[in-house]
Amino acid sequence: MEQIVNLRHGDGGKYTNLLIREIFYKHFDNKLLVNSQDASVFEVKQGKLAFTTDSFVVKPLIFPGGDIGKLAVCGTINDLATAGAKPLYLSCGVIIEEGFELSLLEKIAESMGETCRKTGVSIITGDTKVVEKGSIDGLYINTSGIGVVQGEYCPKPVCEGDRIIITGGIAEHGTAIASERYQIEVQGDLQSDCMSLNKLVERIEKYMDRIKLMKDPTRGGLATALNEIAELSRLGIHLLEECIPIKKEVESVNQLLGLEPIYLACEGRMILVVDEECETILEEIRQCDGCEDAAIIGSFVNNGIRPMVFMETYIGGRRIIGSLEGEMLPRIC
Amino acid sequence: MDKGLARYLINEINLMATEEIKIMEVCGTHTQMISKLGLRSLLAPKIKLLSGPGCPVCVTDERYIDRAIEMIKKYDVTIATFGDMIRVGGMEGSLLEAKGKGRDVRIIYSPLDLIKMAEENRDRNIVFLGIGFETTAPVIALTIKTAAERGIENLFCLTAIKLMPPILDYILKQPSHNVGGLICPGHVATIKGSDYFRFIGVDYCIPAAVCGFEASDILIGIHYLVKQIRQNKKAAFKNLYRRYVRSQGNPIANQLIEDVFKVSCGVWRGIGRVENSTLDLNEKYARFDAKQVFAVEEKSIKSTSCECKDILLGNRTPKECKLFAQLCNPVKPYGPCMISSEGACAIAYRYREEI
Repeated sequence: MEQIVNLRHGDGGKYTNLLIREIFYKHFDNKLLVNSQDASVFEVKQGKLAFTTDSFVVKPLIFPGGDIGKLAVCGTINDLATAGAKPLYLSCGVIIEEGFELSLLEKIAESMGETCRKTGVSIITGDTKVVEKGSIDGLYINTSGIGVVQGEYCPKPVCEGDRIIITGGIAEHGTAIASERYQIEVQGDLQSDCMSLNKLVERIEKYMDRIKLMKDPTRGGLATALNEIAELSRLGIHLLEECIPIKKEVESVNQLLGLEPIYLACEGRMILVVDEECETILEEIRQCDGCEDAAIIGSFVNNGIRPMVFMETYIGGRRIIGSLEGEMLPRIC
Repeated sequence: MDKGLARYLINEINLMATEEIKIMEVCGTHTQMISKLGLRSLLAPKIKLLSGPGCPVCVTDERYIDRAIEMIKKYDVTIATFGDMIRVGGMEGSLLEAKGKGRDVRIIYSPLDLIKMAEENRDRNIVFLGIGFETTAPVIALTIKTAAERGIENLFCLTAIKLMPPILDYILKQPSHNVGGLICPGHVATIKGSDYFRFIGVDYCIPAAVCGFEASDILIGIHYLVKQIRQNKKAAFKNLYRRYVRSQGNPIANQLIEDVFKVSCGVWRGIGRVENSTLDLNEKYARFDAKQVFAVEEKSIKSTSCECKDILLGNRTPKECKLFAQLCNPVKPYGPCMISSEGACAIAYRYREEI
């Protein structure tokens, strides 16, 4: 095979087939995909299905702790997980720029395959397009996912006093991308938090009747996600700055770059809204791999005015946390 | 910072605040920390914290941006700039808009990256927008010197480096100025030394202190200033950032500034001309001066209804501007104070403290 992707790899003929077989089939390997024609056919149990789609244009394609492939699989799985669904199948559409290195494409496909295997999800249909050099920047991926809604989970009305849990350190994905983009060499542990959350949701399934809301704070970060929740619940959110888990490395890089961690994306974290008796749920979450730093970061208050998020700073001051306005770091996922 | 210490200092400051006390800070990082900590919500209402002209982007004249855009149009140069500058509008639009139209505008983090950029793009003329205060001047000087040593011929600098003392003179000479005490910029003092700011007490009888940027630094600074004001020690001055700031500053950095720049008259956005307030490349390095190499016509300024001037001078707070958070917000900024992440209005908007 050649070293780079050519326009003929996208013409639907022999070379397209070669690319699909030698790269995508090889790493996504599953019968539904390999045996499918124009569409994959599968059976489902009765119940509610969840369906979602997301496109990934992250730059750089490979970053500390992940790559666009892992992100594309985890991102869609996590969207399903926040709906309380067990992810079953994914689709994968790739748009490749002419001249893209085949070895890099294979590395990304391999990473997607590996992430799927780890999470027990299969990519069962896909599409490949190649476009002229200069019309896109390298590689874009779209994944859609379908899952079965599990147990008792459905969003419930949020009340005054309800607690907010974050399942781990914030801003790690956004900071890893920023440090890579601005070539800041960091000593210590600075990696994207990119990971699938379906195992976490399975683990806390027994508490679903007490979980009122789940949301993954991706673009716009914790601040934007919490503002959406405040708006939805018509309640205020009182955050405690000193309780928000954040790695030292993340804090330092953001200080250096003048970025606000609270607005930077997470790709492997979940915000949960639970009732006041949430210690057992928190303990359960902390048992999950990658969620050791989970913490209760605030609660809902009825401040009588419009719903807003405010933070009690670590010296006791107060400030309002608005939604993200204006781009901070483009092409983060 | 230790919560107990913070509470103690805040309590002490508030106990002393029996009359209105206005304290100005002139560094964007101080402005940001004060808001980020929610300090105003902790201090007695009689303590007013004002933000002076400490954000380099905010004080950069509109015509500077227009000049850069003209250079792209007329000479097809590559513009390299710090990120914040890209959204600032001149009269002819912003660099971001120029980039959207396919012009070559690149964001850099360190001026030293320019050397690599110039060497890798020998067929392009690169114009760096060298803005900032005394703090960024040494690294810009080092970049120019390095370019000269390496015989780089395609790198140029459009300088608008501002100096602190002349603008402080300008503010403090206004009979109506509001400043009761001054938090001096710790970063500038790291380069220039704490003695650089002694004139505030001597010439204007206003207590001043060089402060760092942690919560404790700022609180200790405010505590010190309020105490001097209350005790009527008007010429008091103290370096409270001794872990970085020496009385004479950083000699290597100052030598670099001296080697490469000369002091000249500067234009401040919304304020106008201030004598001896800017650094330009000196004769030895004139060949790097983009103003001379890529001459463009200068346009005249249209007036806006924005009150950035009064905000920069500490006569008004962002919230007192009628455009604030209504017509002027970070997505659609009117004035420069809303554009840069270090601008007083952008910070006041981002960290709104009233609940």
